[in-house]
Amino acid sequence: MINDFFNILLPQGCLAVFILIQLLLGMFVSPRAYKYSRLISAIGISASIVLLSTVQIEPQYFGLRNAVMSDSYTLLFDFIILLCGFFVVLLTKNLITQRRQNAYTFNALLLTAIFGAINTVSANDFLTLFISIELLSFPTYFLIASNKGYYSKEASFKYLITSAVSTGVFLFGVSYLYGLTSSINLTEIYEFVAQHEPSLLCSFAGIMIILGLISKLSVFPFANWIIDVFKGTETSVLAFLSTIPKLAMFGIICRLLVFPLSNSFELVCTIAVLTVITALWANTYAIKEKNVKCILACSSAANASYALLTACLVSVYNLSAVIFYLICYVIMNLVVFAFLNITEGNGIGNQVEDFKGLFRKNHGTVISYVIGILGLAGFPIMSGFVAKIYLFSAIANSGLIFIPILLVLMLLTVIALYYYLKIILPLFDECDKNFAVKILKAAYSQKFVLFICTAVTMLIGIYPEKLIEICRFIAYNI
Amino acid sequence: MDLFLSIPFLIFLPMAASFFVMSPLFTGNEIAIRRFTKTVCGFHFLYALFMLMLFDGANPYTSKLSFFGLDWVQSLGISFSFRIDGIGMILVLLTSFIFFMAAISSKINIRKNAKFYYSMLLLLMSAILGIFTANDIFVFFLFWELELIPAYFLIGGDFTSETVPEAKKSAVKFVLFTFGGSMFMLLGILLMYYYSYMSTGILSASFGDIFINSAPKIIQAIISALLLIGFGVKLPIIPLHGWLPDAHTNAPTPVSMVLAGILLKTGAYGIYRFNYEILKDIFLVIAPILAVFAIVNIIYTAFVAYAQTDIKRIVAYSSISNMGLILLGLCTLTKLGLSASVFHMVAHGLVTAGLFMICGVVYLRYKTRDINALGGIAVTMPRLFGFGTLIVLASIGIPAFAPFISEILTIVSAMFSDMGILLKICSVCALPLLIVSSCYMLKFLHKSFMGKLELSDKINDISMHEFVVLGSITAGLIIFGVFPAVILNLIG
Repeated sequence: MINDFFNILLPQGCLAVFILIQLLLGMFVSPRAYKYSRLISAIGISASIVLLSTVQIEPQYFGLRNAVMSDSYTLLFDFIILLCGFFVVLLTKNLITQRRQNAYTFNALLLTAIFGAINTVSANDFLTLFISIELLSFPTYFLIASNKGYYSKEASFKYLITSAVSTGVFLFGVSYLYGLTSSINLTEIYEFVAQHEPSLLCSFAGIMIILGLISKLSVFPFANWIIDVFKGTETSVLAFLSTIPKLAMFGIICRLLVFPLSNSFELVCTIAVLTVITALWANTYAIKEKNVKCILACSSAANASYALLTACLVSVYNLSAVIFYLICYVIMNLVVFAFLNITEGNGIGNQVEDFKGLFRKNHGTVISYVIGILGLAGFPIMSGFVAKIYLFSAIANSGLIFIPILLVLMLLTVIALYYYLKIILPLFDECDKNFAVKILKAAYSQKFVLFICTAVTMLIGIYPEKLIEICRFIAYNI
Repeated sequence: MDLFLSIPFLIFLPMAASFFVMSPLFTGNEIAIRRFTKTVCGFHFLYALFMLMLFDGANPYTSKLSFFGLDWVQSLGISFSFRIDGIGMILVLLTSFIFFMAAISSKINIRKNAKFYYSMLLLLMSAILGIFTANDIFVFFLFWELELIPAYFLIGGDFTSETVPEAKKSAVKFVLFTFGGSMFMLLGILLMYYYSYMSTGILSASFGDIFINSAPKIIQAIISALLLIGFGVKLPIIPLHGWLPDAHTNAPTPVSMVLAGILLKTGAYGIYRFNYEILKDIFLVIAPILAVFAIVNIIYTAFVAYAQTDIKRIVAYSSISNMGLILLGLCTLTKLGLSASVFHMVAHGLVTAGLFMICGVVYLRYKTRDINALGGIAVTMPRLFGFGTLIVLASIGIPAFAPFISEILTIVSAMFSDMGILLKICSVCALPLLIVSSCYMLKFLHKSFMGKLELSDKINDISMHEFVVLGSITAGLIIFGVFPAVILNLIG
């Protein structure tokens, strides 16, 4: 047990310690010292990132009686999740200033969610997985509700209900699988599935499990929470919501698909249908939307569905494409939400027209934002272009039957381009002389996130080879 | 490749200049930016000329960028490789020339946001040069997509003295059309890449390594069709042309020159590179069908152009009509047809740039583009009238001007190609183009330049800058009209 701890659980342990520190400080420190809460979170996450170097990955390590595992795949996901967590903490300045009473609690919740996300990726049995997902979900309800106003409470409640239902579905699938294999351990289930003929019941259980997991990715049937939730949530929490739960869920879904649930034709069909429905719904819904957050919610759902479709057509090539896409995608999302965080801090609303003419006075920040959005739309020089080509080539390589689906998805990206343009157009509008364009004030931490993520987006776009190599290595070794 | 003849330098010089102009390091002074841009474009043109002089048709220029000793995306077989053969060289030179002209003529048109405008213009130049020189299907696609961003801002941006309210809408239309087309194209490219890999086992996406003749015929046909939709939006082929008139009309004059002069040629170039060269087997089958589309392009838009009252729209529709001729030349699948096609790209690039320039000059002074409101310009602006007459005559295919050669060559090659009776009928049908195009072009000349003087304000004749642009374009038209061998030899 102790060995396990020192071999693979140090990062998690470090985070847990910092959660406790935050909670203790929240009890004993005066709310006037709220500023230090972010610092402590940042230190905690950085320490955790450093401790990732102690994790044993070669060969695969199974710890705590096979309940958790670690390999290069989980290490990569842990690293990206922690990095996103670090950026999110940097973005929380506005929120913490608003809510200084609860600053420490808020940070403790954020760290808990990150803790849950890391554990989700490295879980190796369904019980651990379930607990980790709950650890990820529960703090999220409160994080969403931390915004001012009516909408955030509604958002939180919607998220709560969706999560509850999807967890039920997930457990239902797990119970079936347990009934079939009399095990909840992923390795044992994998062995069982490998030895036996694929059965319909097993596929059914697999579908239920995946259905339970994809609610966090806002894939149909658990799709429409995302718009309300994005509408009512503060942008730094959105930066969290659109990156970390997605990474965690993709981390575990890819592993489940590669291991125990592979070779299930029904599963692939179901997911393919669901993703196409999601992409259709999300992209068409966004056409009439005027709220930037809602548009980004739709884009988030659509992008997740593309990646999920690729992930379900299991192959090494596809897996590496998905990982590459996810990394590019979260970084671009951080760019976008960092900008929205800055504008929200400056009292600019979320409607498309509220951003009118910002380019005139704020060249640097607006160009970064445009780079982020155009990257999401898949334009070259940005990493989105390479990611798009890689992902689509993965789908195209999976077989001729997927070509029509691919064509549909590609045409949906044209609609997506329309709403992305709708977001960035007003920024360049020429306003009247009387209209005072705001000069955006931003904290160093916000600017840091914005510019670093933009630089990384460009860097990956210009020189993707290294990252692709890493992704391929990891996909090959899973 | 020695240091002086570097393709990456040729392509990335404008891009570097664009980033430099955009960066806070560069001054915001409009005059400084303009002069810098003109200098870059002028130098680029000289450099391209220099490359042309040392060009040897048997040894095309090739170049490959490596990143830390690796290809761009080594693991997917994508390399940043470039190749300039005869056709590429001609188009590179044309691009360089038209952008130089556009940069010169920007002085009189661009009044606002100069920094943004010139940086986008240079970026667009880089992207188009990239398309003409790319030697890898994904790099080609990269530049194809990259070009959308600057083109969007150039069409929709607010640069001229008065705001055009529809400009933003037409820019969005342009981007959505092209992006939609390029999605079809991407699917085609991916399939091509996949089947080439299947049959050869070489993980490479460069044009030379793509080989899909062993793929099933139906797959080849699908790929060909997908690519044609992509290029057909840009060219444009008739049902896909909706974006063009709006975009060309609402863009500032220099941008219209670039759009019609170069951007449309990227579509034709794409058809040549992909459908004509790589998918030759299937192109043999679909060429007659495509020729019918070309004829529809030619005839239909010629009539539409005749019905227009906006002078810029007349020129825009005439562009579509002429693009049909270029497509027809490609469809003949003969060396002569190809030469004619490429020659017409150059000739039409020059003509249409000149025509848009004239429209811009007229609009700047009279604040209207309505053909019925104009009239009598010949009296107030005799020098413009001179150039106008020359360029309009060139565009209707009068001998001694470049378009004459290419139109005749196209029709002759279509007549004598061995692609069957359909192409011969097409070539006969193409003849009326010459008549209808003379109708609308002469209407343009007649209604705006002759007639009663409608507006009697004091109007200045063309300035030095405009004179230089129109003069260079006319000179180019005459030179290529008298010595067509300059271009035809390069094509081989």
